[in-house]
This record gives sequence, C-alpha cells and structure tokens, in this order.
Amino acid sequence: MLRRSAISFALLLALALPALARTRPHYGGTLRVETQADPWQIPDGLARRLVLDTLTTIGPSGAAQPALAVRWESQNADHRWEFVLRPAVHFHSGTPLTADAVVASLEQTCSLPGVTPCPWTAVRAAGSSVVFVTDAALPDFPELLAQTEFAIARQDPGGAVDGTGPFRVTGFANGALTLVANDDCWQGRPFLDSLQILPHRNIRDQWLDLSVGRADVVEVPPELLRQAQDQHLTLLTSQPVDLLALTMMPQGPLAALEVRQSIAAAVDRAALCNVIFQKQGEVTASLLPQAVSGYSFLFPADRDLERARTLRGGANLPPLTLAVPNTGATIQLAAERLALNLHEAGFTTQVAPGSHSPAPLTLRCEHLEEASPRAVLDELLERFGQNSTVTGTDPASLYQSERNALATATVVPLLWLPRAWAVGERVRDLRLSPDGIPLFAGASLESAP
Amino acid sequence: MTLRQKLLLMLSLTVVGVVTAVAWTVSIRVRSVFAGLDRDQTNALVTQFQREFDQRAADTSAILDRMALSEDLRRMAFEFSNGGDTAPYLTYATPLAQAYHLDDLEIVSHDGNIISSAQWPARFGYKEPAVAAAGKPAFLKNEDMPDGSSQIGFFAVRAVAGSNPPLYLVGGNQISGDFLREFAGYPGTQIFLYRDLTASFDPDNFTSLAPLPAGTAQFGPLVDRARSTGLNVPGIVYLTRRREDSVYATAIPLKSTEGKVLAVLVIAHSRRGMVEVQNHIRAIAFGVAGIGILFAVAASLWIAARISAPIEQLARAAQQVAAGDWSARVDIIARDEVGVLARSFNHMTNQLTTQRDRLVQSERVAAWRELARRLAHELKNPLFPLQITVDNMLRARKLPRIQFDEIFNESAATLQAEIANLRAIVGRFSDFSKMPDPKLERMDARAAVYRVLALYGPALEQKKIDVGTAITPDQLIVLADPELLHRALSNLVLNAMDAMPGGGTLTISAARSADTARIAVADSGPGLTDEEASRLFTPYYTTRQHGTGLGLAIVQSVITDHRGRIFVERPDQGGARFVVVLPLANLMLAPESTV
Repeated sequence: MLRRSAISFALLLALALPALARTRPHYGGTLRVETQADPWQIPDGLARRLVLDTLTTIGPSGAAQPALAVRWESQNADHRWEFVLRPAVHFHSGTPLTADAVVASLEQTCSLPGVTPCPWTAVRAAGSSVVFVTDAALPDFPELLAQTEFAIARQDPGGAVDGTGPFRVTGFANGALTLVANDDCWQGRPFLDSLQILPHRNIRDQWLDLSVGRADVVEVPPELLRQAQDQHLTLLTSQPVDLLALTMMPQGPLAALEVRQSIAAAVDRAALCNVIFQKQGEVTASLLPQAVSGYSFLFPADRDLERARTLRGGANLPPLTLAVPNTGATIQLAAERLALNLHEAGFTTQVAPGSHSPAPLTLRCEHLEEASPRAVLDELLERFGQNSTVTGTDPASLYQSERNALATATVVPLLWLPRAWAVGERVRDLRLSPDGIPLFAGASLESAP
Repeated sequence: MTLRQKLLLMLSLTVVGVVTAVAWTVSIRVRSVFAGLDRDQTNALVTQFQREFDQRAADTSAILDRMALSEDLRRMAFEFSNGGDTAPYLTYATPLAQAYHLDDLEIVSHDGNIISSAQWPARFGYKEPAVAAAGKPAFLKNEDMPDGSSQIGFFAVRAVAGSNPPLYLVGGNQISGDFLREFAGYPGTQIFLYRDLTASFDPDNFTSLAPLPAGTAQFGPLVDRARSTGLNVPGIVYLTRRREDSVYATAIPLKSTEGKVLAVLVIAHSRRGMVEVQNHIRAIAFGVAGIGILFAVAASLWIAARISAPIEQLARAAQQVAAGDWSARVDIIARDEVGVLARSFNHMTNQLTTQRDRLVQSERVAAWRELARRLAHELKNPLFPLQITVDNMLRARKLPRIQFDEIFNESAATLQAEIANLRAIVGRFSDFSKMPDPKLERMDARAAVYRVLALYGPALEQKKIDVGTAITPDQLIVLADPELLHRALSNLVLNAMDAMPGGGTLTISAARSADTARIAVADSGPGLTDEEASRLFTPYYTTRQHGTGLGLAIVQSVITDHRGRIFVERPDQGGARFVVVLPLANLMLAPESTV
C-alpha cells in the first residue's frame, strides 16, 4: 500500500514539475515592441519609462509608492516636501544617484520648452534628500512626482541620456531602438535581456507583424479593440486613461457663455463612443471617470439639440475652426462628427487636422498618469487652463470643484478611453501600469533559452 | 493736280480697292470656315461628352448592380437583419469604394440611416434621402463633403441582393474626377465645372483639372443662360481683349432627375490656333495685297506716265506757243487719239507760223508803204517852198543886182530853213531807227513824273490845261534809264497836250500796284476810236496832220525795254488814259542779268 502510494506521489510529482517549470519566468530573450509614437517622447514615451525612473510610482490603489525615493514627508501644511533618496542607486554609467543629480534633472525638466510649468517654486538637495517648496499646498505631490515628465535623468558628457531604469539604451539601428537589461537595477535585473522598440509603425503593420511573429507587443487603439477581440488576440487593456475633450476659447466668436453651452449641448457623445470608438470608451460629461470619482453620472452626457439651438439663438457667428492637434484618423473622424453635430445646431465648423495654432475649438486627447481623484482633477484643471483649484479630497469637494470648472463651458469632456496592447504568445507576465503602459521590467519570454 | 497724278491716283485707288475687297473677302471666308470647323470640333466634344456622360451613368449603375451581389454585403445585410450591430462597419465603405473604383459610396440601412460613408465617414447615422431612387437608372446628385463643399456626380442606388429589410448602397463617381480627365487630353480643350448655383455667378466657383485661365469671369453670361434655360448654350467667349485668348465654349447644364440644374459644365475649346492661322492667312493676304498694291502703284505710275507723257508734251508745246514760240513741235508717234491730236497740233503751229510770216510780210510792206507815204508827205511840204524859192532865184537873175541880192538872200534863207526842216524830218526818222539801249539804274519813278510836270508846267498853263496829280507818298523804286523814262513820259504829256488844243485837264498819277509802279497820264480830250486805240502804238501811225506817228511807238519801245508795258484806257467820262506799268526794283532781276 505504502509502496503504491509512493509510486503514485512520484508520478504526480513528475507530472507537476513541467507545469511548474512552464509558469516560472525565464531570463533572457529579446522582446519586440512596435508603436505608432516616438518611444522617447515626453511625457509618455515607452522607452523613457524603461530607462528612467521617477522618485515615486503609482501603485494599483492609485497611491504613490516608493521608487527612487524610499520615503517622504510633508511639512508646513503640504507646502514643503522632503524626499529621501534610495541608497546605492547608480545610473547606467555607474554614477551614483545623488540628491544633487536629482535636483539638476528636475531643474532641467522644468526648463524644457513646451513642458507644463513645474508645480514647485524651489527644489534643493539636502544630504541624501531632495526638498521641494511650493506656493500652494500640494497634498498629492508624491503622486505628482510619479509622472514620467519628472523622471530623473542625467546627460553624460557625450549628450546621451543616462537613467537608473531597468533598461538602458544601446543603439538605434534599422529604425529600431534597442534597450538591454540593466543588471544593476535597484529593482532587480529584468527577465528580458533586451527590448527592441520599432517606432512610427502603423497599426495594420503592427498587427501583421504580431500575426507572423515579427512583433511581441503591439498597440491596439480603442476603436480596434473590438476587432482585436474578434480576431482573438491576447489583449492587455487598461482602465480609461485618455480623456477626449473639446475645449473652447472663451473669446472671439465663443466669448458668449450661451454659445459655448450650446456647443456643449450639441455634441453627440454616444455616437462617438458607440460607433467611432466601437463602444470601447466611457461616455463622460465630467473630467474624472466614473471609476475614479463615482459621481460622473451626475453630469448629463446626453445630447440636447433643441437646447443647443435655443442657446445659440440667432447669433451671427463666423465659421469656427476645430483644431485637431492629434493627426490620428480616428480622432479626426471624431472631430468631423463633432463638426456635423455642431452644424445641426447651426454652427459652421471647419476641421483643421494637425493644427496646433490656437483655434476657437480644439479636440484634445489627454493622457493621465495619476490615479487618485484629486491628483487627476488637479492635473486636468491645469492642463485645460482652468483657474479653479481643488479644495478637498472628499467626493463632494471634488464634485463641486469640477462642477465649477465645467460651468464655464470652456472644456467639454467627451470620452474616457482605455489603452490596450496585444501581446504575442511567447510573452509572459506582462502587465500594464495604472496609466496603461506595459511594464516590461516584469515580463519574460516563454521561449527564452 | 496734274493729269499724271490724277491718273495715278485713280488707278491706285482702283487697284487698292480691288485688292482690299479681295483680301477682306478672303479674311471673312477664312474666318467663317475656321469658325465652322471650331464649332464642329466643339460640337463633337459636346457629343462625346454626352456619350461619355451616358456611359458613366451606365457604368455607375453596373458597378452598383455588381456590388449589390457581393457576398460580403449580403452577409452584412443578413447580420443586420438579425439585429447585428452596424458600428463595426463604420469604415467599411471606404475600402469597398476603392475596390469598386467609386469616388463616393454609402451603405445605408433600410430606414435611410447611413451606416458607413466612404466620402464622409462621420456622417454615419444621418439620413440619406437618395435611397428613394433605389433601382432607378443612375442620376446626377450633389454630394456634400466634409470640407463644406459639394461634389456633383453620377449616383445609383441599389439594394443588396436578398437583403430583407433592404440594405442600400448609394454610390457614384464625381464628375470632377476622372470624368474631366477624360477630356483633358484634347489639346486646346479645357473643361470647367461650375457649382454652387445658389448665388450669383462667381468665377471662384469654377473647378478645373488644370489651373483656371485668366478671364473665367467672362463665362458668366454663358453659365447664367445655361442655368436659366437648362439648355446647352454655345458661344464665343473672349477671355481677354486678345482674339487669341478667346474660346469656343458650350455650357452644358447638369440636371438632377427633377430637372434642377445642379452644375454647369463648360467645355471650352481654345481658338488660339484658329486665330493664329487666321492671322497668318490674313497676314499673307495683306502682305500679298500690299505687294500687289505696291506693284499696282508702280504699274499705275508707268501706265499714267505712258498715257500722260504725250499729253504733257502737248501741254508744254502749247505753253511754248502761248509764250510766242511758234516753232514748238511735238514728237509723238501714235495711232490713237493722242497721235491725231499731236499731228493736229503740229499742223496748227505750222499754219500759225506760216500765217505769222505772211502777216509780218504784209505788215512790213504796209509799214514801208506808210513810211513812204509819210516820207513823201513830210518831204513834199518842204520841197514845194524849195521849188518856189529856186524858181524865184532863177527869175531873179534877170533883176538888178540889188534886187537879186535881196531876193537871193531871202531865197537862200528860205532854202536853209527848209533844208533844216528836211534835216529835222530825216533826223527824227533816224532817231527812231537808232533808239539807244537803256542805262538802267535804281530810281524813284515819282522823280520822272515830277520832272515832266516841272518841264511842261508852264506850257500846260499857257494852253489852259489844268493839271491834276495823284502821286503816292511812298517811293516807287524801279530800274530805269532816267532820260529814256523822261522822254517817254514827255511824249505822253505832249500827246495829251495835243489832244486838248482848247484846254482841259491833264491828270498824272503814280502809285504802287502789287509789285509794280503804275504811272497814268490822262487827258480830257476827245478820246480815241476803236481803230485808234488798236493801232495807237503802231509806228508811223498818227491822227494828226503833222505827226510822224513815232511818238507813242517810241514810248512803247522805251517801256518795253524797261520790261514794262503800256496800254491805253478809255474812261467813261471821256478822254484817254495812258498807263505805264513798270516792275518795282526789288522784284526785278539784277540789271546785269536783264540787260
């Protein structure tokens, strides 16, 4: 009996071991990623996230977690923040990470043209700590520093960017950016030996490469998610992280509040969501998504054409230009749909694709890295140029702040959209960050030697 | 204007007129022929357009028919009929339109809502009223575009085969696309499409494959007429003031099935080539005409010279005859009327010369007779006393010496007196035959008049002749011999005194008349008969008993030698007026050249 039991146990063990071996990550291998965007673009370039680290990161709960800073504390009613740096962290070049290097990196970031002004008024090194001083109380400052635009970098004498992330840049050949694993990464060595990022690749080609095994991870725009599902692709989909919104310039032909409210009432969010984005987005009339705020449903998102026409009245308006800085075909299609919506309400609108010049109307798509409601709202209000500030962290205060901001009808939230990626069969353990970016540091390849 | 000039002008005008008429006729005819060719070419283009138009419509219908049988679309229709979602098909129309080579395509649900639009993807969910024309032949339709414009095209509507409820396909091709390109290959032909017919004509609403030429605004009347009448309107349109920039255009209204004009297609065929050929032909015609005219003028010149030369020769000969040269002859050998005229002229001058010679001979004989008569008369008077005296002297030889001496002395005195008288008579005749040449000098003619008046003033007073003068205060400078002129005027005054033996009035005047000095000596005597007036200046003609008839002849000789003239007038109030006309010195040639 005992012998039979022992034989049975051994047999079961023999069967279970390969299964265990298959689920355990393997080191090595090169992961091939294809994107439409520039991997080095600020703020959400794919390569930047792999090469550079931030002082903090956003955890699954939306709260800040230690990264290059191991701890932090606020003083003076959230007007002064001190971040203690993680010890024994080195840049890829071997240079130790110091508070001075962090300060230099942040000051350089703040001086870059086209970047949102930094929220602090002063930053300085204090031993192994970095001290920030702000004019306004910033209770969400640690979450704010988790944004990739505040990633810590240094430039070596040759001008190359040096970071502390899990991968380092080794070259750019044949249109592909090659990153290799940082063996001395403070987070531990990634499973992958290297990453190849092929930028500026259109979606169809990405999918084709994925289907024939030339790519391991490719992008899936929201409007193609349904199609990807129909094709049984392995998908990683984030929560809604991109806000599609129509902004209005409260001057010139849109100086009158009624006219702006008319435009806000004329837009047909449902058509955008259901048809153009194939029901993959979240219709919203609020800045915060329902999952974050919980009160989004309080903002009416339905189209009210009659009200739009009434508000517009008989105003004699010149043709309006709807600028679309994003040159994507789907965003442009959404803009044309909005122009049609506005036409029904009596507005003549001309879509200007690729235009970055100030226009009465602009269709913008804003990507958010934050997860906490207050941080998201703060960030959005700043990006949309709202003067109002969030006074509290409770839903009522957030609701009131948002309501006050939207009452000016200078920004009309339309849709929250997710980010999605399709991954090949050999990719394992790939997850997305809260803002929908793949976390390649934890991924591995099944077929790696 | 001379005869030659008249002939030349007449011939030249005739030739120019004829050549111009021919050139004009050629030009008009060429223009007419080319205009006809141009019209035919444009009409052919219009006809081809109509054929192409019909063919495109048929092609569109055929494409939609074929598309409606597509398996994919039938599957789609089946999916929709079973409650399938239309959203995934949002962009389906775009590749489908490309696959079937359509510019526009819409997939429309049975209730008329657009599911997918190739030309305006954002229009999903909006109504497409054209589905009412499902199954009908292709038609023209204005399709709105995202940029706010509209494109006209051939459209057909078909229901997907087997779809229930029907799934419609509304597809077509824009006229401004390949359709216009079909015609772009014709050299010199341009196709314009005029749209936006809601407002008044605006050349900016023209579209064309090629850059629009300047002056498209000139198509306005053509387009407006096509819009208002709904008919093809042909015409010539001048894009600029240059004829080369004109086109032969036909405006073709493009109408919907309801007859509404949706657009106007203008087929314009450049007339540049035709105009250039016309100009070339015209230039050749006018060049030939110009050369012809020059040649004709030269020929006219030669012909006129040929015709007028003998007449001019005759005219010159006639002028010579008129000037007194009766020896003038014309040397014309011709058988025509001019030849007859020339021969007659020569004959006439011959006759005149013969007659003159005869007359001169007659006058010479008459003069000699007159001279003989005068001489006999003049000499007879002294001869009789001489005869008597000689007889007395012969008879006195028988008388005593004292008486003889007394008679001899008286007779000798008488003989001497009569011989002197004879010598005087002979001297006057001798003087006339020996008129000296005048010694011309610049002098005031009035001085001669004053000198005569001064000389004969007492005699005139003695004979109770009143003297009247009318002498200009201005100088009358003439080239004259003072003595001869004095002598001539003296003769005239003496003549006047003789004409007034019982007294009267002598009037002397001197005045400037044009470029001459006019001196008149008038008397209040009995005047002159016609015969006397006509023969007054004939030598040896006199009306007086003791006149020699040489006085006025001498006067005429003197005045003639001074390049002047003398004539007599018979005033109404009676008497005679002798007028001497002498050229003023500043108008005369130098004395050396005149002497």
